[in-house]
Amino acid sequence: MSESNDFRQGLGIAFRLGTEMTVATLLGAGMGYGVDHFFATKPWGIVAGVIFGGAAGMLNVFRVAQVMTKELEEERDQNNTSSKDQDGKS
Amino acid sequence: MESPLHHFELHPIVHLSVGGLDISINKAIIAMWVGLALVFALFMMVAGKGRQLVPGKLQSVLEIAMEFIQGMVDEFIGKEEGKKYFSFIASLFIFILTCNLIGLIPGSYTITSQIAVTGAFAVGIFIMTLVIGFAKHGGHFLTILIPPGIPKVMVPIMIPIEIISMLARPLSLSVRLFANMTAGHTVLAVLFGLAMSASIWIGWMPFGFTVVINGLEIAIAFIQAYIFTTLTCVYIGDVINLH
Repeated sequence: MSESNDFRQGLGIAFRLGTEMTVATLLGAGMGYGVDHFFATKPWGIVAGVIFGGAAGMLNVFRVAQVMTKELEEERDQNNTSSKDQDGKS
Repeated sequence: MESPLHHFELHPIVHLSVGGLDISINKAIIAMWVGLALVFALFMMVAGKGRQLVPGKLQSVLEIAMEFIQGMVDEFIGKEEGKKYFSFIASLFIFILTCNLIGLIPGSYTITSQIAVTGAFAVGIFIMTLVIGFAKHGGHFLTILIPPGIPKVMVPIMIPIEIISMLARPLSLSVRLFANMTAGHTVLAVLFGLAMSASIWIGWMPFGFTVVINGLEIAIAFIQAYIFTTLTCVYIGDVINLH
């Protein structure tokens, strides 16, 4: 059961990370383009938009990865304690 | 030969319009009604009979599904807070899953391959998270735009980045579901087109692949429904717990 759970979580993360960054960058570029269109600041709006969007994408991916490492570490700690218990018993 | 994207096109079956608004009924709407009816019938079959202490086959399946969703809600929103949102999350999961699976029956329509549908879900969820956030925290909710522990100099840079990353959430939520379903069904259509246009001596090969990929698509239907609901839970949990 736990193995299939891991597999599902892994797939979930794989599907998430891919879209997360692309979408944020594209959204930033789109917002920059909109700013250019309405305020006649060509091309600086889209330049800033891509940079901010890319940063936002990185941030999103980083946050997902942070949660992921936290889970991994917790798992490792659990394994360590359980193996220690076994050692103590034997 | 038909284009592989042909089966995504929608043509009105019954022309209807109310006050200039086109509400013609097409294949997608019928598929969605079937999905709704199916979910409703499935749960009414169990609920109508009265819950048994020793569950029957159908009740066990539904109970396992509900426990699975309960676990998800507990993990991402919290045990106490999650109770309020459990019914919403459960309906969302079951409905998206049913829609994804209905699309795999040859000749039917995958509603989740329309970005209008997934977009409506995602925007609805986004507005819901905003409403929950403001109702729960008031004006203090805006501090979600400032991550904890950053120096004051960075605040003007971080706010636009956080706004973009907030707005990217509904977009990525809808695009992910739509793109995965569309891609899967396009692959199926291409392979089936190959099978139909080749002679039987070689045509059995792409046909065999369609069968294999249909199996893969069943897995993707489950995974995508799971991801969509997990992320909904994560987003609701984020606005409730504020960092």
